[in-house]
Amino acid sequence: MKYIYLIAILFLCLNLKAQNDRFIFGFFPEASLKYNISEKYSITHKVESQHGLFDSNRLNDELQYEHSLTDLQSFIGRRLTPFLKADIGYQYRVEEGENTHRTIQQVSILQRGSFYRIGHRVRIDQTYFQEESTLHRARYRIKGQIPLQGRELDPGENYLAISNELIYMIQSSEDDLENRLTAAYGFYIDDKNKIEIGLDYRTDDYLVKDRFRHRLWFKFGYYKSL
Amino acid sequence: MIRRGLIITFLLLINFGFSQEKNEVEKRVKKNEVPETALEWLKDAYEKKRRTKWYFQTDGEEEVFEAKLKHKRHLHSIEFNMRGVVQNIEVLIKEKEIDEDVYEVILSYLKETYTKYSLSKIQIQYTGQPDDLEDLIDENELENLKISYEIEYYGKTETKDELWEGLFDHSGRLLNKRIVKIKNTDNLDY
Repeated sequence: MKYIYLIAILFLCLNLKAQNDRFIFGFFPEASLKYNISEKYSITHKVESQHGLFDSNRLNDELQYEHSLTDLQSFIGRRLTPFLKADIGYQYRVEEGENTHRTIQQVSILQRGSFYRIGHRVRIDQTYFQEESTLHRARYRIKGQIPLQGRELDPGENYLAISNELIYMIQSSEDDLENRLTAAYGFYIDDKNKIEIGLDYRTDDYLVKDRFRHRLWFKFGYYKSL
Repeated sequence: MIRRGLIITFLLLINFGFSQEKNEVEKRVKKNEVPETALEWLKDAYEKKRRTKWYFQTDGEEEVFEAKLKHKRHLHSIEFNMRGVVQNIEVLIKEKEIDEDVYEVILSYLKETYTKYSLSKIQIQYTGQPDDLEDLIDENELENLKISYEIEYYGKTETKDELWEGLFDHSGRLLNKRIVKIKNTDNLDY
């Protein structure tokens, strides 16, 4: 449990600067379900949802629950080698205002160390709106996974997962950058069930003048495979 | 309503997920949990005091202690039985450190079997009596020791594309191999 404190302190430190920027805090549960349809092909469904509790843009600094958005995603993936996987996916986003459709293409590369694992993910996606033009994003995520008991991650043991993702986005000649840093404590129940609990710190509007935004999500993720 | 629905969904998901399969275990142990015989053998063989990490390992049947340490710039894994008697020593080596003749035999097997291959982790394994294993470390003597090579490699055929762990004998002939199952990467991919 000491790791969770460590992670929390790390994120608190990150948040001490820039009091004038917009800051949002909330809960972010997510769950994914993966199953193989053949030796090479697999299907993954994922649901994730953001629930805001605090927004510095509101007049009084009270906690107030707000359903920000819910994403429903489905992917079909092909394993090209034991270390390389390509996926195409679709996302339906339920959000106040306008629900959107998104298409996703990604390649993930697994790097195995003597005791750790690193996953590299290169993803591009396109979000479609009724009125506005399509939003294009290109993103790269690196995620490391380190066992906390011994050198091998065995059923019933725990791990630490740290990731960072950089996102470049462009919509009708306006572009922006977003960064997502996460740290989570993982419960490796067995190879078909994993739980990750941690924090997801997102900063965006880097390229938009006077509008830098921080979002801190308390994340709860469940990964199930059949 | 949405929130309540989500919570219920999560609880359901977790519920049908918990079916623990627990057979292979490897965990860190403290020095004082290791039999004295093992500690003494290690001290005699490797002499100088060094940083040693101890592990307990089981595959569901056999239980062993394993010591991991660095010796002459190589990572050594020394396996002991539960009574503390040394069983074998595995040394992590580079591709070019394999004896040339042995390497040729291994490569010819890989070339014949796979259209594409690459070696990822090579360990040379010495098995023998405690005294002979001690001589290997402190006197560099190979007498009475059985040598084999445990190699993790990627091999591609027309139909299969896998990561393998092969055991090769002292001359480089394949004794047996098994597919290394890579753990699910769902949490790294999505």
